[in-house]
Amino acid sequence: MKKRVFSRLLALGLALTVLAGCGNNQETTQQKTDPSQEASAEKKTFVFGDTTFNAENGIADINPHNNSGGWACIRYGVGETLFRLTDSMELEPWLAKSYERVDENTWVLTLQDGVTFTSGRAMDGEAVKECLEALADTHVRAAGDLHIQEITASGQTVTIKTEVPVPALLNYLTDPYGCIIDMEAGVSPEGIVSGTGPYEAVSLVTDTSLSLVKNENYWNGDPRIDEITVRTISDGDTLTMALQSGEIDAAYGMPYASYPLFENDAYTISGCATSRVFFGTMNFESEITSDPAVRRAIAMGIDKDSFVEVLLGGNGYPATGVFPDNFSFGGDSVTAETYDPEGAKQVLEAAGWVDADGDGVREKDGKKLVLRWLTYPSRQELPLLAEAAQDILGKIGFRVEVNSTADHGRICADPDAWDIYVSAMVTAPTGDPEYFFTYHCLDASSSNDGHYHSDRLEELAAQMARTFDTEERSRLAIQMQQTILDDNAYVFCSHLRMSMISRANVTGLTAHPSDYYEITADLDIV
Amino acid sequence: MTGKRYGRERKRDRVRIRLWIFGILAAALVLAAFFSRQLCPFDPDAQNLSMALEPPGFPHLLGTDRFGRDMLSRIIAGARVSVFSALALVAVITATGTVLGVICGYFGGLADAVMMRISDICLAFPGLVAAMGIAAVLGGGIQNAVIALAVVSWPKYARLARSQTLAVREEPYVAAARLAGGRPGQILIRHVLPNIAGSILVTALLDIGTMMMETAALSFLGLGAQPPTAEWGSMMSDGRSMLQTYPWVVLTPGGAIFLSVAIFNLLGDTLRDYLDPRRLWKKEERI
Repeated sequence: MKKRVFSRLLALGLALTVLAGCGNNQETTQQKTDPSQEASAEKKTFVFGDTTFNAENGIADINPHNNSGGWACIRYGVGETLFRLTDSMELEPWLAKSYERVDENTWVLTLQDGVTFTSGRAMDGEAVKECLEALADTHVRAAGDLHIQEITASGQTVTIKTEVPVPALLNYLTDPYGCIIDMEAGVSPEGIVSGTGPYEAVSLVTDTSLSLVKNENYWNGDPRIDEITVRTISDGDTLTMALQSGEIDAAYGMPYASYPLFENDAYTISGCATSRVFFGTMNFESEITSDPAVRRAIAMGIDKDSFVEVLLGGNGYPATGVFPDNFSFGGDSVTAETYDPEGAKQVLEAAGWVDADGDGVREKDGKKLVLRWLTYPSRQELPLLAEAAQDILGKIGFRVEVNSTADHGRICADPDAWDIYVSAMVTAPTGDPEYFFTYHCLDASSSNDGHYHSDRLEELAAQMARTFDTEERSRLAIQMQQTILDDNAYVFCSHLRMSMISRANVTGLTAHPSDYYEITADLDIV
Repeated sequence: MTGKRYGRERKRDRVRIRLWIFGILAAALVLAAFFSRQLCPFDPDAQNLSMALEPPGFPHLLGTDRFGRDMLSRIIAGARVSVFSALALVAVITATGTVLGVICGYFGGLADAVMMRISDICLAFPGLVAAMGIAAVLGGGIQNAVIALAVVSWPKYARLARSQTLAVREEPYVAAARLAGGRPGQILIRHVLPNIAGSILVTALLDIGTMMMETAALSFLGLGAQPPTAEWGSMMSDGRSMLQTYPWVVLTPGGAIFLSVAIFNLLGDTLRDYLDPRRLWKKEERI
């Protein structure tokens, strides 16, 4: 009996402790926040959640010369480029005031006056020269794009001489790697740089957060937020709940399944079509995907319409080629294999891939039609695409082994480890078509992971590299796309509608088709 | 005195009835898992994107997932993976742990010391965390998840079997068997194992639920069953982003895990009461 009374008293005590704990918490929080409320009433703070700001996506810091760090640099308002892209993806000067092409290899850029880095140094020709030289020395892709031979600086003028004609030079300078940073201030061990943007980075912890403060000396407007925190929230569900609970004010990379929760007056969704494409790269070193019939069957076995409508919840556009249809060289200007599972079966039969042992998987010369599908989970729709393809291709006679891993970057460099690598990328971030091909498809490309080679494509690429006329470049882009589509070297599934979701009191956070510009001087909380 | 005995008999009858009920439920679950292919109203892996995320109703009684797959069929098909992997896991760790424990307990010596230190090392790691590490090294797949959990779970049985054997080996009947010229193997199989089997069986039954949860946890984290295999943990993981918008995608596999774990735990609990009535009486006296 005594024991019973004791245990009841103990349970009551525990319950009271829990309740008291909760009560105290609130009180303490209130007590703690009260003194700072006055200060925070004066200060405007903004917290931004992003699923992609992490080392897995090559964005370990905000150093534009380090891998894809430029994306964070430009997105979060730290860095700016010499030229930028308008809403219709056309070039316009930014840190550069004007330009002149002296000859095929020489460009003279005149810089804006009165621009200073957050380090306090004036942005002049010398600073830009130092930055671009460091970029060409350290960033493999930039070096391959820009072909810089020599840069000279004089006052607010920079003269760039290239080794070969680079017609898209100004477009390349809009790439996030082209953010102009102060090389004298250098890069901190955490990867913080000094840029010219509306916000200054003060602390950075990779895969965790970036803290920004207002750049009081910003040259192009008056930033309205005093302190910004960009939080890495790689998990989409956590991001959803963080926005619902008010822990963050806006989010990038929200899972489409969560959109219905924010389609109301309490939130604003800003979205636009981008050239970000979900696409598969075929491995030409693989015994399976080096077979043209297999590549064609894969291309015919992907149901792009259903993927977009159902799995992307309509937040995309079925892709034919590399570029979406808002580009003159995109959309239906090219033709590709259409969804035809029966046709795919016939293609495989004709090529000798038959299911002789009746296990549902085709064989040829004793080799099973096993497709190693490499993808990664940080773009949440990629594993869904893999699972959808696994079903359809399975019915065609493939056995699809999906490897969805954050380690995809290392694995895709090993041509023996995969057959198709499905990823997402912005194909025309600079508004010019050359980028995708130079990055992915040529012998000299830094990311030609599938070791694709086409004499015709190389020839067209060389032609494009000499062509300054925009219309002619568009015509060449169409031919180049058609070449890779005819070879089924890549299969393009869908272009993405990019959206940012913010609380209704956030203004000035607008999605841009380039996917570059997010936090700007216009950002405000009302 | 007679009244007390009568009360104990009634109590034992109630335990027997409970044992029957939970036994039947557990058997039904195992049979459903075994005949899952025949019981599924639809092909659990067949996608139909035009029917994606249909709420529970007719003909999809538990709704559909984002690939338009029938949730009820996937729950039934998932039972096969979830229940059998838990049963296989418990069978492996019980057998391994018991054999090692009995040998160590009976013979002692260096082998005992070495084995017990190994089990100490295994027990020093948090079980699921160590299993996650092993599963990550081995790669995805339910088979690897079972191996990973087996590696970290056997010491419990080894310790239990050893301690029971240490007690039993001093019993007069074991000494008598030894004096009668019984070989160690015979003594272990005929005299030691039958006398320690009860507590090991109860522990194993109680562990089925735990192992089911841990296998589901590994699958939830992507270290167990891989798509498109229907497994309750991976189904919950797939649907977790839809908890607020399409809750049936998460709640149905979650409910299946809850029910199965509850059935096996209650069965184990009841079996313990049945096999050890003195425990029940003590409980009764306390009340």
